[in-house]
Amino acid sequence: MNEKRRRFEALAMPHLDAATNLARWLTRGGAEADDIVQDAMLRAFRSFEGFRGEAVRPWLLAIVRNCHRSALEQKKRHAAAPLDGDDGTEIAADDPTPEASAMERGAATRLDKAIAALPEEFREVVILRELEEMSYRDIAATTGAPIGTVMSRLARGRALLKAELTGGSHGV
Amino acid sequence: MACEESLRTQAYLDGELDAAQSLAIEAHLEQCEDCQALAMEHADLKAAMADATYHRAPPALRMKISDALDAETKMVPFKPARRSGFWLGAGSGAGGMAIAAAIAFLLLMPANTMVADLGEAHVRSLMGDHLIDVASSDHHTVKPWFAGHTDVSPPAEDFKADGFTMVGGRADYVHGARAAVVVYRHGAHVINLFAWADRGARLPATGSREGYRMIFWEDKDLDFAAVSDVDPAELEKFVALVKKSQARE
Repeated sequence: MNEKRRRFEALAMPHLDAATNLARWLTRGGAEADDIVQDAMLRAFRSFEGFRGEAVRPWLLAIVRNCHRSALEQKKRHAAAPLDGDDGTEIAADDPTPEASAMERGAATRLDKAIAALPEEFREVVILRELEEMSYRDIAATTGAPIGTVMSRLARGRALLKAELTGGSHGV
Repeated sequence: MACEESLRTQAYLDGELDAAQSLAIEAHLEQCEDCQALAMEHADLKAAMADATYHRAPPALRMKISDALDAETKMVPFKPARRSGFWLGAGSGAGGMAIAAAIAFLLLMPANTMVADLGEAHVRSLMGDHLIDVASSDHHTVKPWFAGHTDVSPPAEDFKADGFTMVGGRADYVHGARAAVVVYRHGAHVINLFAWADRGARLPATGSREGYRMIFWEDKDLDFAAVSDVDPAELEKFVALVKKSQARE
């Protein structure tokens, strides 16, 4: 095993679970999540030589996020069906995209469904904060949004999630 | 939720504020009902989120990525040595290269294949249901079971009090030798503790493969390896516990 590979195994591979978790939540349990993770790990490996010192996890998760984005765009170009938009103004469970239904069809708990129903920009900060326990700064580095935006999205995401969990009978 | 301090309160609840700002927000919380409600919701949500699904990378995905990285580095595991001039003189070209390759193979073999072997054994154990042959947290059950099913009978002690729960034992193969494996759980992680008869192979101190870390050591006439995806510090803590228990034997 060469030196670059060894460094990658030691520094980046420990975050493979975090990468998988983010990809599966971004795709709401879509079958394409694992391809996104594999694509991201390869891209990370290719640019690993230029990687110096910063925190590995936000760097790697930013790549996962970009891979998810480009997979979405590719799909958008190929399929006529409209996909979940970025505007984040409505609860995404209202539009029955195949991605949304993957999680809703399965044996997901009410909580998992409620998280999956969050618009992407709120879902990702909630996942990074609540499941990965990342700092605001690292979440900002991952999402490319300023810290102030991370804070307001987190507040909005939590409020939406609470409404979804207490308000209750959304589509069920 | 119209309080203009709500974002700062949230930051306080998320542990993002320094001491001075925390004091200010604590004073504010004393008298702001909106922010008190926010604090309760924050705690409720945090408790609820403990039940959210955390999607770990399945072993098959780890292997696929490892293979893709192998292809990426175009890793030829055993490169012939570069002394081709000497070998070309010694024999015909192809034959000489083959000999050089064989020698390189022998030199490289211990550390490389040991790590690869253990990585594969670990992944194998996580797939399907072959993690445990004998399920027990009692060393009076596991240790005698090893005696009947493997070549070695390593100590099998539960470290539950330290967060490493023994869940059972398994017979496995490492490097062509029959190995005894004591299986532990640490939170959601599995730790495989391999033990096999020392046959003089040089052990690497540590290794990593597909995101799994390994720590190797020898004790008396046995070789040991702990393999897991737990935090490196936790794996070291675990190994220290095992070594302490071995010293007591």
